[in-house]
Parts: sequence; C-alpha cells; structure tokens
Amino acid sequence: MSGEPTARRTEEVLDLALPTTARGPSPGGPLLEVRDLRVRFTRGGRVVNAVNGLSYTLDAGEILAIIGESGSGKSVSTRSLMGLLPPSAQVSGSAKFEGTELIGMPEKEMRAWRGAKIAMVFQDPARSLNPTMRIGAQIVEAIRTHRKVSKKEAAERAVELLKLVRLPAAERRFYEYPHQLSGGMRQRVVIAIALASEPRLLIADEATTALDVTTQAQIMELLVELQQRLGTAIIMISHDLGLAASYAHKVVVMYAGRAVEYASAEKLFANVRMPYTRALLGAIPLLDRKTHELLPVIPGQPPDPAALPKGCAFRPRCDVATDKCLEAPPLKEHEPGHWWACWHPAGSEDTAAGGRAGGRADEVRVGSARQVEDGA
Amino acid sequence: MTVAVERRTRNVTAALLASPSLRLVGKRLLMAIPITLGVSILTFWVLNLVPGSAAQQLLGVEATEEQVRALEREMGLDKPAWVRYLDWLGGAVTGDLGKSFVSDQQVTTLLGERLVVTFELVILAMVGSLALAIPVALLAAYRPNRLFDRLSMVVSVSGLSVANYVLALILVLIFAVQLGWFPAIGYVPFTEDPVENLRTMALPAAAIAFPLFCFYTRFLRGDLVDQLLGQDYIVTAQAKGVGPWRVLIRHAFRNSSFGLITVVGLNLSTLIGATVIIEQIFAIPGLGQLMVQAINTRDMMVVQACVIVFAVVTVVANLVTDLLYAVLDPRIRYGSS
Amino acid sequence: MAAVDAPVATVAEVDAPRPRRAWARRLSLWVPAGLTAFVFLACFLGPVVLPIPAPVGGNVLESSLPSFSPGHLLGTDPNGNDILSRILHGGRASLFVAVTVNLIGLAVGGLLGALSAYIGGKVDTVIMRVLDVLIAFPSLVLTLAVAQSLGPSLTNTIFALAFFSIPAVARVARAATLSLRELPFMTAAELAGTPWWRMLLRHIVPNIAPQLITFSMLGMGTVIVIEGALSFLGLGIPAPNPSWGNMISEGQASLSATPDLVIWPSLALFVTVLAFNLLGEALRTHWSGR
Repeated sequence: MSGEPTARRTEEVLDLALPTTARGPSPGGPLLEVRDLRVRFTRGGRVVNAVNGLSYTLDAGEILAIIGESGSGKSVSTRSLMGLLPPSAQVSGSAKFEGTELIGMPEKEMRAWRGAKIAMVFQDPARSLNPTMRIGAQIVEAIRTHRKVSKKEAAERAVELLKLVRLPAAERRFYEYPHQLSGGMRQRVVIAIALASEPRLLIADEATTALDVTTQAQIMELLVELQQRLGTAIIMISHDLGLAASYAHKVVVMYAGRAVEYASAEKLFANVRMPYTRALLGAIPLLDRKTHELLPVIPGQPPDPAALPKGCAFRPRCDVATDKCLEAPPLKEHEPGHWWACWHPAGSEDTAAGGRAGGRADEVRVGSARQVEDGA
Repeated sequence: MTVAVERRTRNVTAALLASPSLRLVGKRLLMAIPITLGVSILTFWVLNLVPGSAAQQLLGVEATEEQVRALEREMGLDKPAWVRYLDWLGGAVTGDLGKSFVSDQQVTTLLGERLVVTFELVILAMVGSLALAIPVALLAAYRPNRLFDRLSMVVSVSGLSVANYVLALILVLIFAVQLGWFPAIGYVPFTEDPVENLRTMALPAAAIAFPLFCFYTRFLRGDLVDQLLGQDYIVTAQAKGVGPWRVLIRHAFRNSSFGLITVVGLNLSTLIGATVIIEQIFAIPGLGQLMVQAINTRDMMVVQACVIVFAVVTVVANLVTDLLYAVLDPRIRYGSS
Repeated sequence: MAAVDAPVATVAEVDAPRPRRAWARRLSLWVPAGLTAFVFLACFLGPVVLPIPAPVGGNVLESSLPSFSPGHLLGTDPNGNDILSRILHGGRASLFVAVTVNLIGLAVGGLLGALSAYIGGKVDTVIMRVLDVLIAFPSLVLTLAVAQSLGPSLTNTIFALAFFSIPAVARVARAATLSLRELPFMTAAELAGTPWWRMLLRHIVPNIAPQLITFSMLGMGTVIVIEGALSFLGLGIPAPNPSWGNMISEGQASLSATPDLVIWPSLALFVTVLAFNLLGEALRTHWSGR
C-alpha cells in the first residue's frame, strides 16, 4: 500500500462514488430555488434582520458564489437552508430543493437531508473537526448516519473518500487526530466528510479563508474538480470577489441581508452595475495598478443589521447616492440575466467609477488565489 | 482493512512510548516526591508548635518532672526536632509510622482498617455525585434555559452554599428521624453485611456527594452549552445529520469529559476534608474520625500519620488525574504536529 | 488577514443565552450585594440597636423556649440564652474571621503571586513549588491540626485559615499578572524605567484587583463554612461564646426533639454563604463585561 492515489485509482473510486447521478444540469427544473428568504433574530427585545428577502436559483452541478462583507447575511442565509440556525431565528420565504420545501421542514425530516443531500464545509478546518475524535471515526459517523452499513464497510469507504480528496497516506491518516494534520489536510478531511453521502449540493462557507494562499488554490481546485466529476452543485460563500471571478458560474452580491447584484459571473464581471460591487472590485489589488498606490477602500462601516438605514442600505457609504436612494431600490432584472438593486447603476450617466480612500483597508480581502497564480 | 487494524494497535503503542505523555508521567512523578516531602516537613513542624510537651499531657498534671523526662526519653521526644523528623522519615519510608502514644498500637495497623472505611465513603460519594451530575447536566444542556435547565441551576447554586455538616443534619432529620429509612449513626462493615453496610453509608455519602453533584453539574452544563453554542465541530456534526443526543454525547460530552476529570481530581482534597467532619457526625470509624480522636487525645504520632496519609492521597490523586488526562486526551497523547 | 470573516461567531453570538435585560443584570448584582450588606448590618448593628438580650448568661427559667416566644423571637437554647442574639453575635465572629482571613489572604497571597509572576524565572519556580505543597494539603485536615496544636481561639482560627487561603489567592494573582505582562503598556512602563515596586502598586495591583476581589467573595463563603466546621468540631471559637458552628453542634444532640436549634443557625449560615457566592458570581459577570 503506497498510499499515494494514482489517477487510475481515483477513477475507480469515483465510479464507486457515482453510481447513477447525472453529471450535468438536471433536466427538470433547478436544483435549488430560493425565493424571498428572510431570517431574523429576536434578541432581548432587539430585532436583528439578518436576511431580508434573498432570491436565487441554482442548477445541478453549478457553482454559485455568494459574496459579501461580514454580517451581510451570507452565512446565515445558507445555514437557514440546512436548518442549522438556533431556535431564536425566525425564517420565512421559500427554498425548494429538488422541488421539496426546506423552510419550515420539521427538524427530524431535515436531519435526514443534512449531510445526505446538502453538505457543508466550514471556514476554519482547525475548529470544524472534533479534536478528540480520530479522523476516520468522524467520516465513518457521517457515512453511517445516513446509510446502514457495517463499520468495516464504512471504514473502507472512508479511506476511499480520503483518497478522493487527495489526502496523502489515507490509510494512516484514518487513525490520526485532527491536530496531527496541517490546515490544508484538515480541510480535505472536512470535504471528505461533506462528500460522505454524495450530496447534490455542497455549501462551502468561507472554505478557504483560513488557509494560506497556496493551500487556498489547491482546495479550490479540488472543489472544482469534484464538482465536475461528481456533478455536485456548490454554493461558495466568500468575501473575495476574485475567488468568485475565478471559479463561480453565478454570483450573488449581498449587502445588509439583501442581494444587490445577481448575474452569471461572465455578465457580472463584464459589466458591474451596482456601486457596492464596483467598490468591492476596486479594493482588490491588480497587477496593472501602480506600485505603492493606495488601494481604494470602501469608506464607513457595514450597517448594523439591527438598525438598517432607510432606503438603500448602502446609501451612507455610496459615492453616487442621492435623495432618491432614501427609497429602497428593488432587485430587478434590468438586463436579461442581470439583476441589480440600484437607482444609479454604474455605467449610467451620473456615475463616477472607483471609491474614496478611507479607513477600512481590512474590510475586503486583498488578492485572490487565481490572481496570485496568474502573477507568478 | 485488517492490515490497517493491526497497524492501528501498533501505532497506539508506539505513539504512547514516544509521546509527550510518557515524558509528562516522568515529570509529574519527579514533582510528586518533593511535594510529599514538603508536606511531611510542614506537618511535623506544625504539630511541634504545641506548647507544653506531649509527655506532660499523657501523664497528667500531677506527674513529677523526672517522670516526664523519663517518658520523653522513652518516646524519643528529648531529641531535637530535625533528628526526630529524620528518624520518623526513615521509618515511614520502610512502612513504619511509629506507635500510638495512647494505645501503644502500631500506627500502620490503626490506619489500615480505617483507611478502607474512608476509601469506601470517598468512592461512594464520588461515583454517586458523578452518576447523578452527568445525566442532569446532559438533560439541562439539551435544552438550555428551559425549565429543567433553570431548575438544575437553582439547585446547584444553592446546593453549593450549604455546608456539608448542615446538610448531614438535614438528611438525618428527614431520612433517619422522620422517615426512618436509614440509621442516623453507626457503621457495619461490608464483609459482615453488605446491605446493612450500604444503608449505614448512604446518608454520609449523600452528605458529601451533594455539594460535589452541584459543582459537577454546574461545570459540565456550562462546558456543554459553551460548546453547543460556540464550537464549529458541533455544527459540523449537526451538518452531517447527526441527531441532537448523539451530538451532545459523542461530540460535546466527549470533549467535556477531559475537563471533568481534572475538576474531579482537583476536588479530591475537598472531598477528603469533608470525610473528617462527616465521619464525626455519623460515627463512622474512618480515618477522619481517628484523626479527630487523636487530636483530642494529643496522640501526635497518629495525627501526623493521618495528615500525611491524607496529603499523600491528595498528591497521588492529582498525579493520577494528570496522567489520566494525558493518556486519554489525544491532543496531549500525540502532541501536535 | 484581518478581514477573516467569522460567520460562526455571528451565529453563536446571536444564540448566546439571551443577554439579560439591563434591569435583570442590575438586579443580579444588587440583590446579593443588598443581602450581604443586610447580614453585616444585622450582625454588627442589630444587637446594638434592637432590644435583644445578651448571647450568654441566660436565665435557666427561660430555657428551651420554642421559636416565636414573646421576647425571644427564635426561642432560647437549653441554657436559656436567646437564639436570635446568639446567631447575631455568632455571625459577628464568623464575618470577622472571614473578613480578616480574606484580607490577609489577599494581601499576602496577592503580593506573593503578583511578585512571583513579575520576577519570573527561578524565584517564580520556587514560590510556585512551595505553594504546590500547601495546595496539596487537604486544608481542613491541617487546619484542624493547627487549631488543636495552638488551642481553640479566635486568633488561632484566623491564623490557621489565613495560612491556607494564601496559596489559592497567590495562584489567581499569578495567572492574572502573567496575562497582564503581555500587554504593551506594561512594557512601555518598564522601558520608561519605572521601579519594580511602582510597577507592582501602580500598574499590576489595580489591574488584577477585580479578579482577586471576585475570588475573595467566593473565599468568604468558604472561610465561613470551614470556620463553622472547626467550631462544630469544638476547635474553633470556644463555647460558651456563640458561633454558628458550635450552635449547630450543640443543637445536634437534641435534633429530633428541638430541630429549631439546628435550623436557625443553619439558615443563617446558608443565607450568608449564598449571598457571598452570588455576589462573587455577579461581580465576575459584571467585570468580564458579559
């Protein structure tokens, strides 16, 4: 047993892992259809509106990126799909997965879906694995939760999964504890756990944020490869527009619990309309920029979800805001396949490009894996 | 997979031998020796603070000076303190703790039978408190801030404010005087009548166990809830579709158990202290009762031996706790990469 | 890397046991504080202000009166002493012992721990090893031995209890100081050439005080319980002077006939310890800013 999986071995494993599932978009309807999703928390009398009417659709095998700053509601919105929010959360709206309504599904029924049809990968692999359980046991648990197989079969399958996610020396790693692995290896394990029951949808919640740049690229490549081979749809949550540009088919940009721009990656990056998205883009260092030039950053703070400004939530930080923006702009399909919520979209007569320089250089993550690779 | 299983056992042994836990064992063992020595010196010093001589005490006020001198010589009390300490230490190392001033019996003989009784009391209290605290904490953490949780918190916070001797009297008042379910005092050896033995031990063990139960419940419930609310691996487990009880037990409790072991170990000296007064109240012939008797009769050799035994047991218990922790917790067992 | 999003923290924060409303939080601090103040006032001022008989030298003709008798609210003991009076006077002794012991523990233990952490190196190691020895002792056991060696008296009780409260305080002080040392203002002060005693008094002590005070509130409860245990065993405050411990011990003999004799001092003990424990708990929450 060399432990190093060859391409051939991986193919065999893949055949095992993929009995019948189609590898392309499913013929009948979208895989996931989210309509007017709203989540709010009531907390000591204060109402926090975390998600305020979010809609998007996702086809089988597609990669959707949800982009936004901390607290924009991107994580909460996906957790609500899996019923992973605390009881204090009130969720409304609709989210149909393969035609079945997820919102309001009883916990017991939801549990059968979690991990089996929808799986999740979290931000920090150092924290998302149980430190006191062997890696193998954690994968076996994921397998046996949804399928009645013997421990031995589950263990064999777990090793296969570890090979599938390209964990070197999978047989040995099976018996190790999380702290014995590096960050990138841990994230591979977390992905293996997520893939245990061949989910149709994988939610990667900032799955590469806590990793260093090289590992980040490797993990993203792995996710894309799995998406292509297994036909798993992926929702990637990130605050990194560059990452979305590199890997996603579709992009939702969220601000203060709302989608502010939504389009295919191609359309969106060819023609960014929402000033907020534009400001996010402006904050990424590009190679054609002059060295030592200050990065433009978005001035101000993201709004407090418990006290949203009137009208467009981005108004206080926006360059082109007018009195009109006191009225909330609806998210509309202004061009075929391109939705945005703005009265003064970029590219129209009264818009100036770029942002003002100011304090919060740390707000938007600088650089992306792909760009670094391109630069090298 | 059989290959892998074999490899697993080999891995565990190899890892244990090469691991930091073995080094930790050595370090702790080395530290236990000076601590025990320090404890014995301190005990000796404290007990020799006594104004007036033990011989005078034994012989009474009417004794002549010659009689006192003679007895002091006989008992070795005329030598300087450090010589007596070294004599005593030399004996102690070879298992000879001297003779009782009062009954002339070997101290080791006296301790032997008493130690068993106290040991039974300690084990009963510890097992009882844990056996109750773990399910209560799990139930409370299952639905935090609901009725059961709040109730258990009120009970444990107030329970921690009840002195064990007060609790002992309340238990006697209710279960012995009013209900007559258990005897108020007395002791029957286990070898004589196991059932009667447990009946006599029930109230004293409960008096010691209840505050511990409160303490463990509070600790464990807090730790479980902290994990359920703040730890990503809990969410990972939930996202796998694992049921709530399994998440609580296999994931949260498993992690809490290591902390619990430490807390139990650290509490042991309190637990042992409690036996002294509880044995007194229930007239149980354990080490604590022996010590209080010896204190009242100024039987220095016995008091000294009792204090040392208590201290050594505490040191050893802390050592065992550390080791258990090191052996059980994989984060320490395997070090970090 | 400062932009790392923390979605989990956001969710967890939302679900954290609902931060109690401001009034509830204030209540959880002021109720135990008020209770503690009440206990102190009752014990130290009560016998002075209220028409309560002396705690000793009672009239034998009035012995063993039941509770709520006229002139004796909580009744009398077999010697005809007023129980309420004995409880209040006993409380004086308990509180006096607890306060003194904790002040000594705070002063000696706090300075020892802070110094140990501040100096560090070999000194720290030696101090901590010595404290390990003291902590290894079942303190009640040795306190008993000390109390017996020195003979039962108020001073000796305080001495014995203080001795064993020092190591625990020292450990807390040491841990607090160690984490304080990491902070930039300490380095800045050190670089400015501040002498060590000034560092200790101006910079360390004020900053570790909240933690020490919180700890000593819990210590108050412990000391009161242990002092009670000593008196219960006849090794604390010598009879006929009242203390909660010896009152409970005296009442034990006639527990089935007159449980009142045990119940009243037990209740006093419980309320006092509970007040200190809750106060410590509330102060901890208050200072940790949760």
